[in-house]
Amino acid sequence: MEIYTALKMIWALLLGVLLTGLAVMVGMDMGVGTLLRFVGRNDAERRAALNIIGPHWDGNQVWFILGGGAIFAAFPTLYATSFSIFYIVMILLLFSMIMRPVAFEYRSKVDASRWRETWDWAFLISGAVPMIVYGAAIGNVLQGVGFHFSWDGQYYQDESFIWYLLNPFALLCGALSLALSIHQGGAMLMIRGEGAIAMRARRFAIWGGAIAAALFVIGGIWVPFIRGFVYTQPVNPAMAATPLNGPAVAMQAGAWMRNFHSFPILWLAPALGLAGMILGPLALAARRPVLGWWLGAIAWIGTIGTIGAAMFPFLMPSTTAPSQSLTVWNASGSAYNLGWMLVFALIFTPAVIAYTSWAFHLMGGKVNPEKVSRDDHLY
Amino acid sequence: MRHVIKMVALGLILAFALLLAVVAGDYAPWYFAWLVGTTMIVLIAASGAVLFETQDAARDRRRDNL
Amino acid sequence: MINPTVVELSRLQFALTALYHFLFVPLTLGLSFILAAMETVYVITGKPIYKDMTQFWGKLFGINFAIGVATGLTMEFEFGTNWSMYSHFVGDVFGTPLAIEGLMAFFMESTFVGLMFFGWDRLSKPAHLAVTYLVALGSNLSALWILVANGFMQDPVGATFDPNTMRMQFTDLGALVFSQDAQAKFVHTSIAGFVTGALFVMGISAYYLLRRQHRDFAARSFRMAALFGVIASLAVVTLGDALGRMDYLVQRTKLAAIEGIWHTTTPPAAPWTIFALPDQSARKNIAAIEIPYVLTPLVTHSWNTAIPGIDSLEREAKPKIVNGIQAATALKAYAGTKNPAALAEFRKYQSDLGYGLLAQRYAPDQDLAKITKADLPGVVDRTAQATIPNVFVEFWSFRIMVAFGFAFIAVFAFGAYYSLKNELEEHPWMLKAAMWSIPLPVLVCEYGWIVAENGRQPWSVYGWLPTFVSASTHGVGYMVFSLVGFALLYSLFIAAELYLMFKYARLGPGFREAPAAAQAGAGPGLGRPGYANKSWE
Repeated sequence: MEIYTALKMIWALLLGVLLTGLAVMVGMDMGVGTLLRFVGRNDAERRAALNIIGPHWDGNQVWFILGGGAIFAAFPTLYATSFSIFYIVMILLLFSMIMRPVAFEYRSKVDASRWRETWDWAFLISGAVPMIVYGAAIGNVLQGVGFHFSWDGQYYQDESFIWYLLNPFALLCGALSLALSIHQGGAMLMIRGEGAIAMRARRFAIWGGAIAAALFVIGGIWVPFIRGFVYTQPVNPAMAATPLNGPAVAMQAGAWMRNFHSFPILWLAPALGLAGMILGPLALAARRPVLGWWLGAIAWIGTIGTIGAAMFPFLMPSTTAPSQSLTVWNASGSAYNLGWMLVFALIFTPAVIAYTSWAFHLMGGKVNPEKVSRDDHLY
Repeated sequence: MRHVIKMVALGLILAFALLLAVVAGDYAPWYFAWLVGTTMIVLIAASGAVLFETQDAARDRRRDNL
Repeated sequence: MINPTVVELSRLQFALTALYHFLFVPLTLGLSFILAAMETVYVITGKPIYKDMTQFWGKLFGINFAIGVATGLTMEFEFGTNWSMYSHFVGDVFGTPLAIEGLMAFFMESTFVGLMFFGWDRLSKPAHLAVTYLVALGSNLSALWILVANGFMQDPVGATFDPNTMRMQFTDLGALVFSQDAQAKFVHTSIAGFVTGALFVMGISAYYLLRRQHRDFAARSFRMAALFGVIASLAVVTLGDALGRMDYLVQRTKLAAIEGIWHTTTPPAAPWTIFALPDQSARKNIAAIEIPYVLTPLVTHSWNTAIPGIDSLEREAKPKIVNGIQAATALKAYAGTKNPAALAEFRKYQSDLGYGLLAQRYAPDQDLAKITKADLPGVVDRTAQATIPNVFVEFWSFRIMVAFGFAFIAVFAFGAYYSLKNELEEHPWMLKAAMWSIPLPVLVCEYGWIVAENGRQPWSVYGWLPTFVSASTHGVGYMVFSLVGFALLYSLFIAAELYLMFKYARLGPGFREAPAAAQAGAGPGLGRPGYANKSWE
């Protein structure tokens, strides 16, 4: 195998790792934000819920930023095309995402119920909207998007944004993503929350996990019937990265199942996802929140792994110009760039994981609403 | 033994600093200037505070003597 | 066809969101190191007042930091959402520093900032100090990688254009990271942040001193900030000179616009224009006040090097434009046919490709193939004129930036002098000057951004990719939607931010003036109920 091909595959894998890290860590915080108004019935309880993730949300959010940066560098054409094509929802995602840091820092700095109520709504929006957009974007990509390129590599959009905003399969994926984040956030609220907060969070999280499992099964039944994409001409994986003049691609219902038929071991991914979604709520019901949290993380790994396994090597297929579909082979950075980034990733990812774990360990322990409400330094 | 380890550690830091200075001096003069300059700015600001405490203590002594 | 309205709206949105983001960044860069300096004194002397200082200024840091992070999210994604051609064209080299920034710097800064705010009770004194230093280092490293990326836009080194992938491909990490432009720009920007942070602390301390409030607290903060600022403000001017020289070496159009040089003058008589109203259509300076024999040594650091004026820069651009049109035409032919003859033709002119892309805008129907022999001189003329940025904006942004830069040195110098003599309260004019100067460094940083980025026009990547062809192919409706949303949301944020800043600055540190509290030693002795973690009681 050529080195360039190997680098492309490694970065496709790392893209999956990033999307999973983002989903697990940011998803957890989003879940807490979504649940804030429901698990906290008074100000002290809401502040306690916020301070459970208070020391960590900022670090977790970097997964999201790194996701953007890594797609930019490792798959420049994918970054350029997908973010522009999904403009309306990307902007909605940004609007809701940028409310969140401000909400954290400003909410508890003014002692007025209207001020705090307003920011609590901001938490609901900035928790739910990004997760729905995240899932829906993946759902849209799975079905293919209408776009083509001109000779210079500029994209042109061939379908209305109304379609990707309101397309039923994408909405299903959005709901799945939201449900998983509620499970994850609820589990975290149980780990560090006390009394009523943990009790209410448990109820929501169990429902979140159970609904996610149901949606995942529905999605699994649906996927074989949607249009998938497949190369119909031989492909050179080490080709120069350009979507122009590429080998032919066909659209076929059920094409997303081909990888599973060729490599049955890939069934492990959906099995893992479903197992996480079923066992996660059971663990929470048995009041084992740490186990439930990790099972939720496994559910995310399984879900994103399933999508990756189904689509590989496609990243964002085009319905209007299938041969210009963006794939791992034709949308990646140069070998030099991918190589150096891999070096940086190998050095810094372990460091990041080490100090993030240390931070969680250091700031661990229960968060008590009474103590929180007496401490103005906290959120 | 602890002294030996300490000396070795300090020696390593010194070697690293020298290496940094040589390499950075060639390729990255401005980055190197930033490192040195920022350290200096922080130290000067801190020593300003320490001087403040000394002046403050001297003033208190003068007041007590009066 | 590229819709010029969409390009202008995309530029407007990027400029507004970047300028807005940059309202908060400099304070983060500077205040983080000032916090580290304060905490260093706390750890060395053990005096609790320095812990109070770290915590109080840390609180204001947090109010500012949150909105800086929030608006930074926009920047990370806006290249993709609005500048698709740009992202495709340079993502291979420009995206890399952004990704490394996240991995190396932003993770560090963001993880440790949580520990900095909430880890006081759980970390030992030296460990917490180390955390504070990591936050300061992380935020500045973050700026480093962003400015490495920006350095590439100003002076594209470390990448070459590849006609097979239709983009610039990364070839040299060392050249990119150690680019002279990136280096000087990072240090200039970071130190400008130091100035902003120092004046922020000094100004608010001056406000307390004027009102005879929190005097022990304010005098100490003032002292540290004044010394911090006096060196930083000197350094920022030095680095500004270095950057000016960089422009002389790699971006002569920017330099000519900054100095309003319409015509080349023979050295060393080239005058430095102190005041003028540059008129781009008449191509001259109105009401100019000039000092001869200053500009040549100032910019070139020599007596006999000519500084090219706008007229000769345009003349130099014309052959490049003619070649560039050939290159772009050949490239398009090659893209369709993979014809080796077209490739050979392209290779001949490839270094001028950017000028061909720039000429697209002035070609009939934006199509280079439709340029007739008769059209050509007209297209070349208009393209050549377009290589010059807006001179008036550049000229005045630069002068405002430099004038305030020197004024800050004076403010800090007086502040440091009277602080060292412990005579601050006898010189209220000085305190007032410091207080009213608080917003000025922020403003000056904005002007610095304008000088750097307006001066880079008409290019998004200097000499390679015109801004005009960089944008996404959105409709006007998309742009209106996002612009209105950003305007509304960002206005609300700044209102909330200013409200909280004023509220907390006015409330003050709540430090008990009674010496008993200071000697109690076990943490912050804070007067206002509910302000602090009262575990010490």
